Amino acid sequence: MPDEKGRFPDPHEYQVPPELEGWEEMYPSHYLFTQDRADWEKNQFWYLDKIHAPEPMPPLDQIFQEAWQISLSQYTTRVFCIPPAQGIAQRMVGPYMYICAIAPPPDEIIGEKAAHFEKRVFYVFEHYDELWDKWLTKFKALGEEMKAVEVPAGLPKYVPDDQVLPAPIGVYDSFNLMEAFDKLANKMIKGWQYHFEMLNLTYLAYLMFADVARKLFPGISESSIGKMVAGAYVSMFKPEEELCRLSRLAHADPGVADILKGGATAEEKITALENTPEGKAWLAEYDQAKDPWFYVSCGSGWYHHEGSWLTVPEIPYGYIKSYLERLDRGETIERSLADIEKERDEVIAKYKALIQTDEDRESFDGAFKTIRTIYRYAEDHLFWVEHWFHTIWFGKIRELGKVAVDAGMIDEVDDIFMFNRYEIPELLTEVSTGWALGVDIPMRGSHYKAKAAKRKKILEAAREWNPTPALGVPPEEVAEPFTIMLWGVTTDRVKEWLKGVDASSAGDVSEIKGFASSAGVAEGPARVLKMLKEIVDLQPGEILVCPTTNPSWAPVFTNIKAAVTDIGGLTSHAAIVCREYGIPSVTGTGLATQVIKTGDIIRVDGETGVVTIVEKAG
Amino acid sequence: MAYILNFKDLDKSALPLVGGKNASLGELIKASIPVPPGFAVTTESYLRFITDTGIKEEILHIVSELITGDMNSLNETSDKIRQLIRSVKLPAEIRATIDSAYGELCTMCHVDALPVAVRSSATAEDLPTASFAGQQDTYLWIQETDPVVEKVQQCWASLWTARAIDYRIKNKFPHEKVLISVGVQKMVNAKAAGVMFTLNPTDGDISKVVIEGSWGLGETVVSGSVNPDKFVVDKVVMETTDKKVSTKHIECVYDPETEKVVDADVVEEMQCRCCLEDKEVKALVGMANLIEQHYKRPMDIEWAIDKDLDYPENIFIVQARPETVWSQRKPKTVIGGKSGYQLLMEQAMKRIKIPD
Repeated sequence: MPDEKGRFPDPHEYQVPPELEGWEEMYPSHYLFTQDRADWEKNQFWYLDKIHAPEPMPPLDQIFQEAWQISLSQYTTRVFCIPPAQGIAQRMVGPYMYICAIAPPPDEIIGEKAAHFEKRVFYVFEHYDELWDKWLTKFKALGEEMKAVEVPAGLPKYVPDDQVLPAPIGVYDSFNLMEAFDKLANKMIKGWQYHFEMLNLTYLAYLMFADVARKLFPGISESSIGKMVAGAYVSMFKPEEELCRLSRLAHADPGVADILKGGATAEEKITALENTPEGKAWLAEYDQAKDPWFYVSCGSGWYHHEGSWLTVPEIPYGYIKSYLERLDRGETIERSLADIEKERDEVIAKYKALIQTDEDRESFDGAFKTIRTIYRYAEDHLFWVEHWFHTIWFGKIRELGKVAVDAGMIDEVDDIFMFNRYEIPELLTEVSTGWALGVDIPMRGSHYKAKAAKRKKILEAAREWNPTPALGVPPEEVAEPFTIMLWGVTTDRVKEWLKGVDASSAGDVSEIKGFASSAGVAEGPARVLKMLKEIVDLQPGEILVCPTTNPSWAPVFTNIKAAVTDIGGLTSHAAIVCREYGIPSVTGTGLATQVIKTGDIIRVDGETGVVTIVEKAG
Repeated sequence: MAYILNFKDLDKSALPLVGGKNASLGELIKASIPVPPGFAVTTESYLRFITDTGIKEEILHIVSELITGDMNSLNETSDKIRQLIRSVKLPAEIRATIDSAYGELCTMCHVDALPVAVRSSATAEDLPTASFAGQQDTYLWIQETDPVVEKVQQCWASLWTARAIDYRIKNKFPHEKVLISVGVQKMVNAKAAGVMFTLNPTDGDISKVVIEGSWGLGETVVSGSVNPDKFVVDKVVMETTDKKVSTKHIECVYDPETEKVVDADVVEEMQCRCCLEDKEVKALVGMANLIEQHYKRPMDIEWAIDKDLDYPENIFIVQARPETVWSQRKPKTVIGGKSGYQLLMEQAMKRIKIPD
């Protein structure tokens, strides 16, 4: 907790619990707080990144963090050159990640960057549509390249004849295996280079528009600003649309619908469907929709263990079941995108009509046009990168995991994720080496297995540990757009947050605050879901309390009274969907899932951003 | 010319005849706003009253003897004229007209001796440039014709308060040209009441409706004798952006024993309870928007929630007048004519201070 001067613990002195001993070796060494950078490190402000790293970090999943540290930062500092902003630095403390928005650079650098900014950024806005098309084309191509990476199914006893005769191909699976991982790792990092291509500018434009709106309408709420900016996002909600379409198709055929509405597992349903021509036809439609639209993570996309609609078919099949039941009741399952657009246009027109001078109305139009031009990027990139691309990658890595299991290096496929991206090449090199050396070659399987087991234990123990919300010294000012937009540190929110985390350990929190992101007030029993898998427990009429949501959660929103999240601002997925379904939400509370327990009666005020625990469960 | 006119037959063109307040009630009815029923006693009644009874010359004579700049003389003049207006008997024809209009109102509401509010409605009042607000009289919970007539005459007398006389002299309004009308309106048996503005009076934010309300009749809010509950609602998205529930110790209610409207203590468990339900707030904001759209300008509105009726029939607007503080300011740019790109550049250069 902060001392009286508002300082948080010195990161070099902060102690992790003894159960986490040995955590350092899980991550690249540049992620550790080190003595050679101590003077700089202890004077920065490091806070727990609950957005990208809410859970203890498996070593290989850290690749995404490593990739975004470079990519996000470079677009701000070296590509589009947002003048006073620098990048975001990351460090690990135990298996949790802390991040820091670095203080502005010297004035002469700011001046140089301003010149680049003007020249480069306005060009992007003027050519946005064309640039977006180019972006999507190249990103899809990269995903296809990733899919095309061949991972050897296993190392053969002898290479087949056709690889030797009539001419040896010269490169064998020993190399292919090592190369496959290098390719996968490089493509992932490349994908993340693309990820931020226009995102920094999008956030900057959003902040600009929000500022204009607040000047014109001093008391305007964050959620109203969100309403003006929000559109009917195409890729963000496409998985859900596809499920609706498949549900309609099934509904038209009672045989298919009956199978899908039954209580069998997804796998059993698929088998049953394969036995009828109508079922087969429906499955063919399903398979067609699958790529890309069902490449959605069951979580944020940031962790391998979250699974996806591909690996956990119970999720999409469960939604289809509930859509079919709603269709039986005569309900409409689709949302009208046209209505959403129309409503937004009306909101904009009404605010605009209130503006007092023509001059301001013109500025408002200009500001709105600027944000609307680019805003779709904020929603669209998410599906393509964090969901589609990550899902492809996880699948490929598991293929490598299987080779490692077969070679006796690890016990389970997913244990591959217990090694970071610098360690895996060594592991695979050992596999190739052992194969090449001949038969009866001793392998170091026990070494890797012991390591994986120890690391799993550390990650498990870390779940029970509540690390300090921050380290170091809070800054005087921030210019970095992601920090302002995602973490909202410019307001009193950080203080609220820190205060709340503090009090939660004392167990006396009865009220928490977040973004009032969807209007309305609701009261009811809370259902705390840390993972989407737990969704089966959710009862209609409950209030969803979760770390964060994403497109794969979308169908849940028809069943709940309100939503509360730990993470996410006004443009977070939960906020958007709640506004569209007209249910209240409070997002970005920082600690709802810690403070609220399933069964607590809570009151969610989506107009003031306050969540009150009315009655504790039990 | 009519001595009385039903509110529902009025619009702003009737202002010279029925005064600003009454005309405004007619306008509200035209805009489909629920206004308690009632009628205006027109300026014609007043004119006939002072002419037929012959007191007109007397009034003008008294006022002509006023010594300019002398406070005592001003007060004396005012007292004399008001005494005169209150004491002279109303011509029978006018009395009969009021009696029959009041009777009709009772019949329409299915109540004998219907409680009404009697309010003056000046022809110069409520104009943004010549606000007389507070100078005219309001009498609440008046029952039966005789007391109504008595209060009508008291309202007429309010045209001659010392402040009103002084104001006319200073602004060179001829005394004989200023007339007055009176409104007689069914009382809302208010559970809660108060005021609302179609902009935020604190910062001039035109996207907000600000409601202030308390238990009982609205007089406690208007006079400032309680700290009201306050709601700030965004008029576009209809979200409450700020809500403050105050401790409301007293309420203005009708006391059947004394047959008067009195300030009574609020029972303890009600003091800290919010005086409006969420849906009532929303309904009021909806009406505020309609009223503002009808008048095409920011408005200052009085409202009341009837305790005898069910939502949504229980919500009434009892008065609406133009907002006079922010509306007087010349609109000026707050963005300074900047383009979208200029604004983006400005944002890019921004460093945001972290609050201590």
